[in-house]
Amino acid sequence: MAELTLRQVRKTYGSMEVLHGIDLDIPSGSFVVFVGPSGCGKSTLLRAIAGLEDISSGEFAIDGERMNEVAPSRRGIAMVFQSYALYPHMTVFENMAFGMRIAGLKKDEIARRVTRAAEVLQLAPYLDRYPRALSGGQRQRVAIGRAIVRDPKVFLFDEPLSNLDAALRVATRIEIAKLKQAMPGATMIYVTHDQVEAMTLADRIVVLRAGRIEQVGSPLDLYRRPANLFVARFIGSPAMNVIPGTVRIGPEGARLDLATGGGLRAPFPLDAGLAGQTVQVGIRPEDLRLAEGEPLLVGRISYIEQLGEVQLTYIEAEGLAEPLIAKLPGVLDLAAGASIALTADAQSLHLFGADERSLRPEPAAAVPEVTSARS
Amino acid sequence: MSGATHSARGFWPVMGQAFLWAFLLAVGVVVLYPLLWMGLGGFKSNSQIFDQPFALPQSWSLENYFSAWRGVQGYMVSSLLVTLVSTVATVLISARAAYGLTRTAMPAKPLITAFVLGGMMLSPTVALVPLVRMLQSLGLYDTHWALIILYTAFRVPFTTFLIRAYMLDLPRDLDEAAMMDGASPGQIYRRIILPLCRPIIVSCVVLHILFAWNEYLFAMIFTNSPSVQTLPVGLTSMMSKHGTDFAQVFAAMTLSALPIVIIFFLTQRYFIRGLTEGMAK
Repeated sequence: MAELTLRQVRKTYGSMEVLHGIDLDIPSGSFVVFVGPSGCGKSTLLRAIAGLEDISSGEFAIDGERMNEVAPSRRGIAMVFQSYALYPHMTVFENMAFGMRIAGLKKDEIARRVTRAAEVLQLAPYLDRYPRALSGGQRQRVAIGRAIVRDPKVFLFDEPLSNLDAALRVATRIEIAKLKQAMPGATMIYVTHDQVEAMTLADRIVVLRAGRIEQVGSPLDLYRRPANLFVARFIGSPAMNVIPGTVRIGPEGARLDLATGGGLRAPFPLDAGLAGQTVQVGIRPEDLRLAEGEPLLVGRISYIEQLGEVQLTYIEAEGLAEPLIAKLPGVLDLAAGASIALTADAQSLHLFGADERSLRPEPAAAVPEVTSARS
Repeated sequence: MSGATHSARGFWPVMGQAFLWAFLLAVGVVVLYPLLWMGLGGFKSNSQIFDQPFALPQSWSLENYFSAWRGVQGYMVSSLLVTLVSTVATVLISARAAYGLTRTAMPAKPLITAFVLGGMMLSPTVALVPLVRMLQSLGLYDTHWALIILYTAFRVPFTTFLIRAYMLDLPRDLDEAAMMDGASPGQIYRRIILPLCRPIIVSCVVLHILFAWNEYLFAMIFTNSPSVQTLPVGLTSMMSKHGTDFAQVFAAMTLSALPIVIIFFLTQRYFIRGLTEGMAK
């Protein structure tokens, strides 16, 4: 059991601040994923939690106990490195046993724990091998094994799958998810820039940008109710389409006139002060469909990526610099160069103000269905 | 036409290869033949060396070698002692220094690195006079310690330079993984870094042995009595003593070169690997 709390955690290198006051609570037994583009500070934050980086100011605590000055090995934390960082001159057994030997555990206890971990990770036949004689996936499992034999309270994963090929990545991702199921009490923190890993593994995602937390929430929370334009674009693949629109408030409620022509009713009531203002209208590619009646968007197909089940259709629309992407059923007969008319439900729209924050009201009643389902 | 250009293209590379082989062979002969000649000279009599310098010995008598051994064994012991102790000291100090220079958060590290490695620029000849005074006042003049200390001091910079370069290439993740495993800096050094540095350590050991075994200047200046003198100095004094008995001098030289040759062949694998490792990952 380990609950992690970060209060105004800052990290500076010389005059450059890379973490700008992180506030975060990580509940015991949760699987939290830090996600964000390169250089957003997610690895630095992880390393600060591990104790490999000093915290410049603020406080980091595990179960209420301040950890800022505690040595990495005394924090009850194990870490899986991106490069695996296996000791090349030690066998698989020795790699896993090293930490326990340092801690002075008895020989038979060490052997018992290593054997058990090796069974869980299907490494038993390889215990006498050196890391150089293992495949990438096996090395990864040894790195995970080295973490679990120590029976830590907190597991840290620093982009553990980025060195694996696509097929192995999916397989190992599932193994990590199973590992979490097998250890419901362990708190796991996982860093990645791959939002698919984040969505599939996490029960809470922390989206970081430039050393700040943009949003914390469950994967579906972030997908359905992104707090700002950055999160909206980062979560979901392909990324959300964004079209500027003007707010018009009439007697029958708020309407949006899109820069591409067309318009529709706002998905939720808008503040009267927004009348005449420009907002950003976000539509996910999967929410677009062929229009049967009056279209919302009209454009020309510039390119199609046929994936079988779906086809990613790139559409050039008037008034937009970047093409829109629509995820349409693969069976539709579409061709590049043809014109296309699309529509979307008003309820599926996301609206963002000039400050890029979501305009969606956050009624307390709207949230519990998700959070209560998780607790 | 095409046949002519084809044969021309075939001709020059072959010639090039042939010249290269001939050149390497010539270099090999130039280096190896005198050594062989020296070894064979030890079996000959003095008159045969002068009468038939290039012939094989008439009899393979070990007489010269036995008498040379009696003359040389004292020097051999000194050489072994000085080489062994200074090698251990140099490599241990250098490895630890390299670890400090690559892995610790010591202040003014670039300055200290420059200071240590700057030692490589120091010419031994320049320091001779002060060193003589210093060692005399320390009471170390004409002892094995004089040579051990000097060899260690003068070789630490270069050895540190080699080991440091190797350590810089070792991934930091390993240190951090060991740190997470609870290892102290000392344990990381002994159990992770040092074992991984084995190829370069072996290279450094061989290089230092070569140096210490053959060093002449310090040995000549800082030792006086035959019981302290090392082989290079001892051989010179043998030469002046038995100036006319070349057969015995050759035998003594062969004996003194033998340990080095054996060590080189034993460690050759490591030696070559140490020099090339780190070039490609």
